[in-house]
Amino acid sequence: MKTIKDRVAKMSFLGLLLALVTTSFYAPSAMAHGEKSQAAFMRMRTIIWYDLDWSTDSVAVNEQVNIDGKFHVFAGWPETVALPDIAFLNIGIPGPVFIRSESYIGGRIVPRSVSLKLGSDYEFSVVLTARRPGDWHVHTMMNVKGGGPVIGPGKWVNVTGSMSQFKNPITTLTGKTVDIETFNEGTIWAWHGLWFAVGLAWMAYFCKSPVFLPRWIMAHSGRRAELITDTDKKVTMAFMAGTVVLVMFSYGSANSAYPITIPLQGGVLRDIPALPDQRGNVHVKVNGATYRVPGRAMSMDLTIHNGSDTAVQLCEFQAGAIRFLDSAVCEDETLYPENVLAPDGLSSSDNSAIAPDETKTITVTAQDASWEIERMSDIIYDPDSRFGAIIWFNGEDGSRQSAILNEPLIPVFM
Amino acid sequence: MSSTQSAVRSHAEAVQVSRTIDYLGLFILFFVILGGFHVHAMLTMGDWDFWSDWKDRRLWVTVTPIMLVTFPAAVQAIVWEHFRIGFGATLCCIALVLGEWINRYFNFWGWTYFPINIVFPAILTPGAILLDGVLILTNSYLATAVFGATAFALVFYPCNWVIIAGLHMPVEYHGILMSIADISGYHYVRTGTPEYIRMIEKGTLRTFGKDVAPVSAFFSAFVCILIYFIWHFIGRWYGTTKFLQQT
Repeated sequence: MKTIKDRVAKMSFLGLLLALVTTSFYAPSAMAHGEKSQAAFMRMRTIIWYDLDWSTDSVAVNEQVNIDGKFHVFAGWPETVALPDIAFLNIGIPGPVFIRSESYIGGRIVPRSVSLKLGSDYEFSVVLTARRPGDWHVHTMMNVKGGGPVIGPGKWVNVTGSMSQFKNPITTLTGKTVDIETFNEGTIWAWHGLWFAVGLAWMAYFCKSPVFLPRWIMAHSGRRAELITDTDKKVTMAFMAGTVVLVMFSYGSANSAYPITIPLQGGVLRDIPALPDQRGNVHVKVNGATYRVPGRAMSMDLTIHNGSDTAVQLCEFQAGAIRFLDSAVCEDETLYPENVLAPDGLSSSDNSAIAPDETKTITVTAQDASWEIERMSDIIYDPDSRFGAIIWFNGEDGSRQSAILNEPLIPVFM
Repeated sequence: MSSTQSAVRSHAEAVQVSRTIDYLGLFILFFVILGGFHVHAMLTMGDWDFWSDWKDRRLWVTVTPIMLVTFPAAVQAIVWEHFRIGFGATLCCIALVLGEWINRYFNFWGWTYFPINIVFPAILTPGAILLDGVLILTNSYLATAVFGATAFALVFYPCNWVIIAGLHMPVEYHGILMSIADISGYHYVRTGTPEYIRMIEKGTLRTFGKDVAPVSAFFSAFVCILIYFIWHFIGRWYGTTKFLQQT
């Protein structure tokens, strides 16, 4: 019997050790923020992020990263998602590894929620200050009340240095400069510690005499009154009086230390200025669109009318965060994340320049494995089978024009 | 030793066993309450207690005492009725605050690196001592509900002001007025907690100008009286042993 027990103990110990070792050596970090899990129609037909620019992909602690760009609030916003009447420009990072020092929409700082208009384009900017070293996936993100987070493209940013070097000073309107990272911590620990000690002392007084068995016997034999003595009542009164005095003292001392305070600030910013029309004069009509599941390709039959005064050429098709480029016409010159960039993903039956006032019908194909990798091909399972996208044209004069597409999509399974 | 013989052979041994049961019982009771009360608190008023920029003068003051007078009322009903123990409420609050600190320090700071000055819990001991004290002095659940629960709610904001006052200093931040607590909430990114779900300063209580904290505290006190009764009876029910007669 003893031998069996010893073996069980030994095997259990080895098992525990093995579990500890394997979990210690295998500790993967979170690689993304669930953007692939988000329904494809939400990524295509709610907030469309474009012209994004990350100022850098490597910073030291206390240095800043700027994310600038624009977003279009899709006019064909899906019925299943609440309208963006109240939305918040957030940032998708794994906790406060950066602090959000500033964020702007339309040039206005937006620490609060905003109201967005369907069909409008907005310029935004987020300034992050590095706080914790590591490789972090940084996403643009818009939270929509009732709709949830609409996450944009994410880019890896490397932070070097030590978190202990991080400082976050700010000067109040009363002239005090404090480090938000550590401000008030001593006071919090001290008062919590003091009240914890008072509570323990209160309990310790009653625990000095027997707590359970003798008291239960007396309480259930009609001798409850004997269990609380006059001394107990006097001690109780002393503790109560002491509590009230200590609370009054703490309240008074806080008012002396901080005579000027304000309530917490909140509310919705409803007058955020949208950008002027960003589309231009190229008009696109979708005659039909299919998504070929085995080929991971979306094909569109488009009639394009160039109403501008310069010749234009089809350059880019953007669905959700994925950008499909025609490499013969344009290439990405920003630090756009590679996983959602298909540099040769766009082809067309005829991509010659479209002259001013010319109308042309062509077949355009956006094909890349990223449809599958980014789980955008799941659009065929959506309850409202439509696609939303921006299609971009480069003008001969260097201009850039675009059109919004919002049409039904037919899957092809063979 | 037969089953009819005592397990102890002397008075000294009996005392020793009794004290051992006391310590074991208190240890178990403390951590059972810590677990149960902590889950209850996090589910019913979690964000108000998690974040400094939720600790406002209106909803935090109202919601927290109402949600936290519950377990003290139930535990008082059990330990006062069966043991005449007068520290039931304090035991609950001390256990809860310890549990919260463990959570805040190891999870919020140790795991996700939120500074402690954003995620500290509220102080609860003063209200608990007053609640216990009224029960001991009056030996009346009615008086404890009316006066004790009222005191529990009324003392909540003043006893916590000392740890939040500094965070309410005004700052001009890129052209708008914010408190330090607001800026902390803005700086230290909470991906899953967008600004619009922060429930602060909502409601129509505008008649009293800026002095809404006392009005909120009195409203909270009134509801605490009712909640105390409900949870007192839950405690009584929980502390009752019923035997079924075999047919």
